[in-house]
Amino acid sequence: MNQAEIKHRGPAGLQIAVLGLAFLFSFPALYLLWRNFTEGGDPLELIATRRILDPLWRSVSLALTVSATAAFIGTALAWLTTRTDLFGKRIWRIVLPIPLVFPTFIGAAAFIRTMNPGGLANRILSEFGIETVIEMRGFFGAWSVLTLFCYPYVYLPVAARLRQLPRSLEENARVLGQRPYQTLFRVVLPQIGSVVAAGTLLVFLYTISDFGAVQLMRYDTLARSIFTAQLADQSAALALSLILLVLAGVIVAFERLFSRAKFTADEALVGEPIQYSLGKWRFPAIGFVSLTFLLSVGAPLLALGDWATDGLLRTTRGGYPLTIDREQVWESTWNTFSISVLAGIVAVLAILPIAFLIARYKSRIGSIAHSIIIATFALPGILIALAMRFWTLRSDWAYDLVNNTEVLLIFAYIVRFGSLAMGILLVAVSAVPKRLHEAGKILGVNRISRFARIDLPIMAPGLGAAAGLVILSTMKELPITLLISPLGFSTLATRIFSSFEDAFVAEAGIMALILVGLSSILTWFLVIRRSDHL
Amino acid sequence: MRLRILLSTLIAALVFTSCSSDPTSLDGRAAEIYPGECSSGNGRSVTIYSGRTENLILPVLEAFGCETGTDVQVRWGASTDLALLINEEGDRTQADVFLSRSPGPVGYLESNGLLGTISSDVLSLVDEQNHSSAGTWVGFSGRKRVMVYNIDEYSPEDLPDSVFDLTGEEYRNKVALPGTNGSFIDWFTVFMDQHGKDVATQWLTDMVDNGARYYPNNRSIVEATGRGEIAMGLVNHYYNYQEQAASGSTHRAENYDFNNEDIGSLLIITAATILDSSTNVEASEDLLEYLLSAPVQQYFTDRTFEYPLAAGVSPNSTLPELTALEIGSVNFDELGGGFEEASRIIEASGILNR
Repeated sequence: MNQAEIKHRGPAGLQIAVLGLAFLFSFPALYLLWRNFTEGGDPLELIATRRILDPLWRSVSLALTVSATAAFIGTALAWLTTRTDLFGKRIWRIVLPIPLVFPTFIGAAAFIRTMNPGGLANRILSEFGIETVIEMRGFFGAWSVLTLFCYPYVYLPVAARLRQLPRSLEENARVLGQRPYQTLFRVVLPQIGSVVAAGTLLVFLYTISDFGAVQLMRYDTLARSIFTAQLADQSAALALSLILLVLAGVIVAFERLFSRAKFTADEALVGEPIQYSLGKWRFPAIGFVSLTFLLSVGAPLLALGDWATDGLLRTTRGGYPLTIDREQVWESTWNTFSISVLAGIVAVLAILPIAFLIARYKSRIGSIAHSIIIATFALPGILIALAMRFWTLRSDWAYDLVNNTEVLLIFAYIVRFGSLAMGILLVAVSAVPKRLHEAGKILGVNRISRFARIDLPIMAPGLGAAAGLVILSTMKELPITLLISPLGFSTLATRIFSSFEDAFVAEAGIMALILVGLSSILTWFLVIRRSDHL
Repeated sequence: MRLRILLSTLIAALVFTSCSSDPTSLDGRAAEIYPGECSSGNGRSVTIYSGRTENLILPVLEAFGCETGTDVQVRWGASTDLALLINEEGDRTQADVFLSRSPGPVGYLESNGLLGTISSDVLSLVDEQNHSSAGTWVGFSGRKRVMVYNIDEYSPEDLPDSVFDLTGEEYRNKVALPGTNGSFIDWFTVFMDQHGKDVATQWLTDMVDNGARYYPNNRSIVEATGRGEIAMGLVNHYYNYQEQAASGSTHRAENYDFNNEDIGSLLIITAATILDSSTNVEASEDLLEYLLSAPVQQYFTDRTFEYPLAAGVSPNSTLPELTALEIGSVNFDELGGGFEEASRIIEASGILNR
């Protein structure tokens, strides 16, 4: 193999590692294929019936609209909080990713409790003589709650990218007399386009995988059909899941086709990114950010806080006592923290080689791995859990090694959420200017220290943001944690679920507030502090 | 540096999670069940997959572990998910005992041949209709179907005697049904069994035509009724007690009990099973026996507001009275097979898009 070819495909070791990773990430897909085969699931026959076409159409139309709005909101928030003189930027940066951490089953329920008829918002508004009777349900309800909970999938990576864009192009544009909004549309947006697209793709896939929100909003999507059919008609559920995966594959392929991302940056990052003054736009801007925050974080928190304080007051007044004690809460909080941080780190380590292979070498193996990982994000968590259990049971060796351990749990988390790290890491890797590398090579610095001294410092904000996305998502993860964690392992999310299932809303509210607090601390530590110090 | 902090935190985390101390006696709710000193280990262990939630049943399991010295391990989850997991795990499941919130998941496991036979000594602790004739499951508590209603919109005298009246014009757009909920599907299965498939299907179709609205589960109906979003809904009796305990007088809903003979006031049992693959059968049967003992049955009715099924314990006085139909006339063995058909009919009725 000549030098050019190696350069094109990447080092053999890296290729083999990525192939191995791609194989591990394809466990859920292989499981679905295998089970469809053995259980006699017939996806083609199901597609032929109208029963499937309706939910399929609902899934797609919901996912498209949620993607569009989340892309807009996420991008706008990212620009406002990184590039303008928006009031209270540092606070917004800590609180805007919070919606990511609401498990949808309780987040949507709390949202409903605040926003729907007779809810807390209604009661507060009617004090001021305002009577609103909007009921969050069906398409409108699912669309609004998913948009509000999913925009961070766009916001976080775009914000990370915006802080990294080379200053020079924008400066040139300004010098050439372009107005700020012209610079935004002609210079900035083209540079963040691929990141926005990658984030939006995640929103799309998450929306078709979501069960908690659509179920509470009573909107009958494909994911809900799968859950309904699981016990009663398992082969149908398996066939539906395969359809979901194929749909995801098609969407991912489309994205690859149209946003042939130009993941290259030959400009070095010089100095702080340019800040724009909002001027007379400062009030609409703060209004937009506040409204998004009030609806996506404030509305659920109001209900959660109400449940929690009612519960606490009740116990202090000697009423029905809480069914959780301090020790349990502490244990779950600690588990949530440690397992999600571990999952975040491992996810970055697992995805980084793939990102390298794609961004540096434009490798086909890299592209295949990329597609598998992203498409898997469309599968509901319970399928990932069942698939992981299924495969560990196929081999005595794997069973003895990983069953009932945190290793299996983390592996499953990575398969579920690795996709979240992918887009950001691709950008981070491509942000390292080639000429710095070449300079390093000429100076005789070896590969490892080039990585440590050139790549790592430049990629750092991206690594933080990627780990952050995985961590926030892992913190709220439910079905995988319930089904394949070691026996007796509980997280805040599993205890919130337990409490909420049987309407112990006070306990659920308290633990949800702890979850939000914990996520804010981690967001500050990982995403904000890092980048601000760069 | 930061890496080192992280690594040491992680090691600490692993140490933290792997050690747990043995209590010498219990406190809190568990002590109400067993106030005595804990026995030292009896060398036995039992692993439970519990679809009953931790908040409700952990004190019982703690008391069992303390009193008998058995090592108890639990995986918590939704009954449906756990049944799917056990099916996936087959012979190699860690579970000895599966506790289900409703009969449907039990029927699923039974039809897949995964359940073992419980000894007749344990089965005979409950009335005949509350255990499987094949000995694969035993009921250990009950939840009654009732109708929750908004007290600002209705008073009990205005409410009907029977679920069949809910198809009338005066209840148009008023009633919520938890169409995809396990215990609703179980209830509908018994409905079909009692009144015939045609009658039950017709009732559901009429409900849909009458503007009945779908909600995903009991809890969300009780919560929405308390706010006045919907006037009434068919639910398990139990949730309104929790909502009242949590929200007090801001929760504007009460339970309404249909005529005792009506299918609308059916008792749905929660069931315990032992897996066929279990190697800890003795400890498992001890556990089932314990669930049916007087202190635990008393706990279920006083603390979780459920109906006791054994040991001569009578229901807490705050619960609606139990009468003829609920006990003694329903063949729960039919539930397993009927579950599939009930799900299909419910889906075909179109209620899920209401």
